[in-house]
Amino acid sequence: MKMNGNLTTGRSFFARALQVLLLTLLCSAAWAQIPVFEIEIREHLFFPAEFEIPANQKVKLIIYNRDATPEEFESYELNREKVIVGNSQGVVFIGPLKPGEYPFFGEFNLKTALGKIIVK
Amino acid sequence: MRSARYKLAGVALLCSAGMDQALADNPEHHNGVGSVNDPYVQAMEREIELRTIFQTDAKSSEDNILRQRISYGFSISDRVFLEAYAIGTRLPDQSFELEGYEIETKIQLTEQGEYNTDWGVILEYERQISESIAELATVLVASRQWGNWVGTLNLGIEYEFGSNIRDEIDRFASGQWRYRYREAFEPGVEFYADEFTLGIGPVLTGVIRGNGNNKWHWEAGLIAPLNDTTPDQTLRFLLEWEF
Repeated sequence: MKMNGNLTTGRSFFARALQVLLLTLLCSAAWAQIPVFEIEIREHLFFPAEFEIPANQKVKLIIYNRDATPEEFESYELNREKVIVGNSQGVVFIGPLKPGEYPFFGEFNLKTALGKIIVK
Repeated sequence: MRSARYKLAGVALLCSAGMDQALADNPEHHNGVGSVNDPYVQAMEREIELRTIFQTDAKSSEDNILRQRISYGFSISDRVFLEAYAIGTRLPDQSFELEGYEIETKIQLTEQGEYNTDWGVILEYERQISESIAELATVLVASRQWGNWVGTLNLGIEYEFGSNIRDEIDRFASGQWRYRYREAFEPGVEFYADEFTLGIGPVLTGVIRGNGNNKWHWEAGLIAPLNDTTPDQTLRFLLEWEF
């Protein structure tokens, strides 16, 4: 490894990275009003376990955990995981999604807490 | 709008503080390759992490250097995660030694998917044991998904101080571009940049599920140099047990 490297390469790279970040920030404007869907967790089950949401639109899920124990809403297909402690609620934003079926599950109760979001 | 103003103010601070500072003058045994952090925190999360960095180089004094970090971390809320690291190093022709420790706090700023980009910030304090050298760092973390692709960017500034080092402010950046192929196997590309390091290379990551909420997260990468002060090859491995 030589010790006389050109440090300006790293400096200009950092400046470019900052420019990209600033542009991204400006693009992250506040989102418009989005549809809200509610899910309940009761006795380690999701209610509803299956529901439809609109395609190509961001959706807000409010998940109420009515059990005393924690649960984790998780879906690799949705790229989301959210731990919701007992007797509390959590918010998960999903989409915009293409039409299709997107399974989800409760990580703490894999055998019972299963569900599916149908995007139409 | 209010949160957008905070974000812009943070970036302006990052730019003004980092750009015109003097550079450190000694790249000996320096390697800026680590890992790329995401901005997410889960409530009730606990983890043990082992991170290995192994470098080879044509220059013998920079060849065959091994760095190990082991940590324990836990979340104190659904937005704040604390982690403590022990850091060890084996330099050429020397035995493995405990080099220092680090305390880190990750704060998730926005809900995943709430905005086009997800945001977080990491605050770090690192201290060497044998020498009076310490670092305070702030890292801005951004992540965005495009279909099955996920891009993550870490931009940081650090203040190095102590009686064995000239006090200075440095900046660093790292990024990852990853394809969500399977939960257990996601290929990608990473880059690392700091005052001496400029490197890029492939990375593989994945999650393997155990019983209940036990999960094993793994990462392996090979970083090649883009300048003369980055080691010829840097291999990195990460294994994280979430429970």
